[in-house]
Parts: sequence; C-alpha cells; structure tokens
Amino acid sequence: MNFLGFILAQCLSALSQAAILFFIACGLTLIFGIMRIVNFAHGVIFMLGAYVGVTTVAVTGSFLLSLIIAPIVVGAVGIAFEQIFLRHLYGRRDGGAYLLLTFGLAIVLSELIRIIWGAQPLSSGIPDFLRGIVVILDQPFPLYRLFLIALGLAAAIAIWQFLERTRSGLLIRAVSQNSEMVHALGTDVDLVRTGVFGLGCAMAALGGVLAAPLVTAFLGMGTTVVIDAFVIVIIGGMGSFLGSLIGSILVGFVQVLGAYYFQDLALAFMYFLMLIVLVIRPGGLLGKED
Amino acid sequence: MNWKVNFAVTAGACVLLPFMVPQYSLTILIEALIFGLFAMSLDLLVGYCRLYSFGHAAAYGLGAYSTALILTQLQLPLPIGIMLAVLVTILAAIPIAWICTRSTGVSFAMLTLAFAQLGYAMLFRFRDVTGGSDGIVGIPRPSGPLGITWFQGKTGYYYLVLGCLLGSYLLCRAIVRSPFGAVLAGIRENEAKTIALGYNTRFYKIATVVLAYAFGGLAGALYAAFAGFASPELFFWLVSGRVLIMVVVGGAGTLIGPILGGVFFVFLEHELSQVTDLWPLIFGSIFIAFVMFAPEGIWGILTSRFNAKPEVPNSTDRKETSDAAA
Repeated sequence: MNFLGFILAQCLSALSQAAILFFIACGLTLIFGIMRIVNFAHGVIFMLGAYVGVTTVAVTGSFLLSLIIAPIVVGAVGIAFEQIFLRHLYGRRDGGAYLLLTFGLAIVLSELIRIIWGAQPLSSGIPDFLRGIVVILDQPFPLYRLFLIALGLAAAIAIWQFLERTRSGLLIRAVSQNSEMVHALGTDVDLVRTGVFGLGCAMAALGGVLAAPLVTAFLGMGTTVVIDAFVIVIIGGMGSFLGSLIGSILVGFVQVLGAYYFQDLALAFMYFLMLIVLVIRPGGLLGKED
Repeated sequence: MNWKVNFAVTAGACVLLPFMVPQYSLTILIEALIFGLFAMSLDLLVGYCRLYSFGHAAAYGLGAYSTALILTQLQLPLPIGIMLAVLVTILAAIPIAWICTRSTGVSFAMLTLAFAQLGYAMLFRFRDVTGGSDGIVGIPRPSGPLGITWFQGKTGYYYLVLGCLLGSYLLCRAIVRSPFGAVLAGIRENEAKTIALGYNTRFYKIATVVLAYAFGGLAGALYAAFAGFASPELFFWLVSGRVLIMVVVGGAGTLIGPILGGVFFVFLEHELSQVTDLWPLIFGSIFIAFVMFAPEGIWGILTSRFNAKPEVPNSTDRKETSDAAA
C-alpha cells in the first residue's frame, strides 16, 4: 500500500470537509464582526440552502444553476429577517437578545422547512459531470471532493480579495472596527449590516447546496453543523476572516482524522481543540481579547 | 411582609393541588416544577450576572446521569442519592466555571456550550458506564433513610419536587438579596466599576456558575429519578436552548419569572402537542414575540399590570437604563 498516497487522500478528504465548514463559518464570522451578533440560525440557513438547492436541481436539472439560485433565495431570506427583526434590536444594550432572537428564528425556520419539504430526507445525488474518481498516487479519490476543495479555495480567495481590494470590503472592515466613526463619516452603516447579513446567509446556503449531494438534505442537518461552525469561529477568533479559514481547516482535519483513528473520541476532539485554544488564547487564534 | 404572604399562599395552593387534579396530570405537574427549578437555576447566571450560558444542559445531564449511576449501582436511599448527585455536579462545575469565566458575553456562551457538547460526546465514549445512545434505564427510587417510603409514589414524589423547588427558591432569593447578590448586580450593570471598587469579580462569577450548576443538577437528579431513565439528549444543546427560552419568556432576573416560564412551557407543549404537531413553530413564534416586544417576560408583564411597584428592586432601574440605551 502506498503510504504517501494514503496520507494525501486523508488530507484531501479533510480539506474537502474544511471547505464545506468554511462556507458556513466564514459567513458567521463576518456577521459577528459587523453586527456583534451570534447567528444561531446559521445552521438552519445552511439547511435551507440545501433544500432550495435540491429543489432547484429537481426542477431545472442543473446543479450549476442551483449553486446560483439557492444563495440568492436564501440571501434574500436573510435580508428580510434582518430588516424585520434584527434591525429593531440594534439599540438594545443587551447583547443576549440577538442570541435569543436568532435561536427563535432557528426553531421557526426549521419547522417551516419541515412543513414545506416534509420530514423525508431529500437527495439530489452528485451531478454527473462530477461523479468520477480520480486516482492520486494509486489512491482513488472522488472527483466531487476535489471540486469542493477547489470551490472552497476559490471562495476564500474571492472573499479575501473582496475584503481587501474593494470599497465595500473596506467599509465592512471599517464597520467591524468602529461602526460609530464610519457612521459619523457619512456611510449608511445599516446598509452595510444588511448587506453582510445577506452575504453571510448566501455563503451558508452555498455550503448547504454543496453538502446536500454528500449527506442528503435532512431535517437536523443544521443542528450539528451550526455548533461546528461556532467552534471554528471561536477557535479562529470571532470576527476574523482569516481565523475562520484556519479554524475550518483545523476542524476539518480533526473531524476526518478523528473519525478514522479514534472513533469513540471523534466528537470530543473538536471541543478539546477549542478548549485548548481558548485556555491559551481566550480571544481565539486571531481574535482580539476583550 | 407582603411577599411572605404571597409565598405562603402560593406554596399552600401547590400543596393542595394534588387533591384537585386527576392522578395523570401529576406527571405534567411534576415535570413542570422540575423545569421551573431548572430554569430558575439558569436565571442566576442570565438574570443576575448577564452571563448567557448556552450549555446549561450540562448541569441537568450531570445531575441526571450521576443520579442514574448512584441509584442503579449503589443501594442508597433516594434523597441521599440525589444529594450525592448534586455534589458530583458541583465538583464537576468548579473546573468548568473556572475556565468559562475567563471570558464573557458570546465567548462565555460558546464555552459553556462546548462543555455541554463535550459531556454529550463523552457519553458515547464511555459506553460501558453510560449506556451510550441507549442511556441508563430502570432507575429505581429506593426507600429510606429510616424506612421512609412516601416519595416512592407519584403524589409523594410531587411533594418531594415541590419541597426542593420551594427550598431552592428561598435559598436563591436569600442569595441574590445578600451582599453577595449586590456584587452580582454590580457585575451585571458595570463589571469594570465593580472591579475598580475592589471586588474580585471572577471569584463571584465562578461561585455563581457553580451555584447555578448545583440547582440545575438538582433539577436533573429529580428528573432522572422521576422518569426512570437518563438519555444523552439531556446533554444536547437543544435542552440548553429550551431552558434559556424559559428564562427569557418568564422574565430574567426575577427568579419567579423563570419558574413560571418553565411551568408555562411544559404545559403549553403538553397541550399544543395534543392538538397540533406544529407546536415547535408556535413555541418559537411566542419566543420571538417575547424577545422583540416584552423583554421583561411574563413576570414583568404581570407585575407591571397588577402591581404599581415591582417586588424586585433591580427590575425598574434596569429597565430605565436599557430604555436610555435604546
């Protein structure tokens, strides 16, 4: 057996897992950075993305189209939620209100999904053109997972460039550092918040569409994933984009390798990792200590 | 004193309740009281220190699993088993509290969540002891000490739970009104200022987390001995979320409010789940409505309607400050 190939396959597997996690965690961390909101509904948003994606594939037959439609639809849902509910809480001193509100939304939204799509898991299957197996160093590896890694990488670079190079990105970074100052300089901070919330939800939806062929769309797929995403965001440092990328990769490796080598402890490893990071650096790897 | 009369009347009504309702309703009543106790324990953190624990299921699960193990493995009387379980919860809570209180706000919520999920994961790791996903079934309610058996029946168990709830309430009420409680209010309103006044706020927070775990563990212990089983779901974060909802809807920072919230939701869930399977939707909508429009909760609404002056000293000025901030 080719040992090197085996290691490589494991790493690729971990990276593809990290790619899906990154789509969720990066939106979560952006939203936190701008709004100081922990979006508990993010897991359900991810699930909604998966369901919309599966439905799009069923109706149009095009996987690529679902990669565009689902983020738009879910992003719109996110924006509506921000406009109707969250906006009214910005003045409240009590940061816990957001936590509670988004938790309430998570309950309501997942019930609505159950009513609309039913309790049966839905599967769209891996699209034909991504169904192949690639042989890397004598190890077979699913093409779809390579596709996930490529897409995750592309998204990471795109968002990074967006944050660093564009005016909108500059505004987002500025608001996350000092929203009052940005407001005083004549920028509509609320618009930035709405936009980022929509963007974060769209990212999570994209993750949901991509995860659906692997795990099917099922009720409760958001419940565990949102906790994973929290762990990533905490490890990376709340509000740090680069932190969410590093956190995703770390957790991706811990999940895949943990599941392979220490089955009984796989669940616990992630939390151990988080505790160790927090005991050493309470603000997360790249976060600011508050 | 007015509250003593109110307390005596309420307690008296609760004592008489088993004579007025059919036996089968007692199950719901007991469950409601247990959840009331559980929610009240979380209120110590949420309402008095503004520490949002999203992992309070850890306390519940620890209490339940300790009781399950103690009662199935050792031939101990029920009250002693429950007391030991609370002790185990307290011992486990100390390191948890020490680590979690390193941070505040969102990080605190996530850290407590991590510990609860870690506990959940550990149940599957130590399958031989905990029964894995099956949990522990067949938890007895052994008699004693001194051959006492009255709590083995359903009515008797109701009184046991009621006694624990009332006792815990009086204890918590005394705590939050003591100088200790005044420091907690200081932490809630302005931690930096409290530190500047020379208080070691970290110590106070650790003590409060441990206290909250102790009462939460008691609720879990009572639940396990009542239901006769302990399952991993007790540790799952949805339980933490549910109890947090109860605290907020009931009215955080009032102790009584969360008890009402717990009782309210257990009844609501029971009634609605018989009529419609959409109850989580209604549950969530009610919750959102409270967060948006009535952050002071059920108890806050009740006291402002029927009482010109709310009984809890801090609730009024707290409202003013939050209004001013808005």
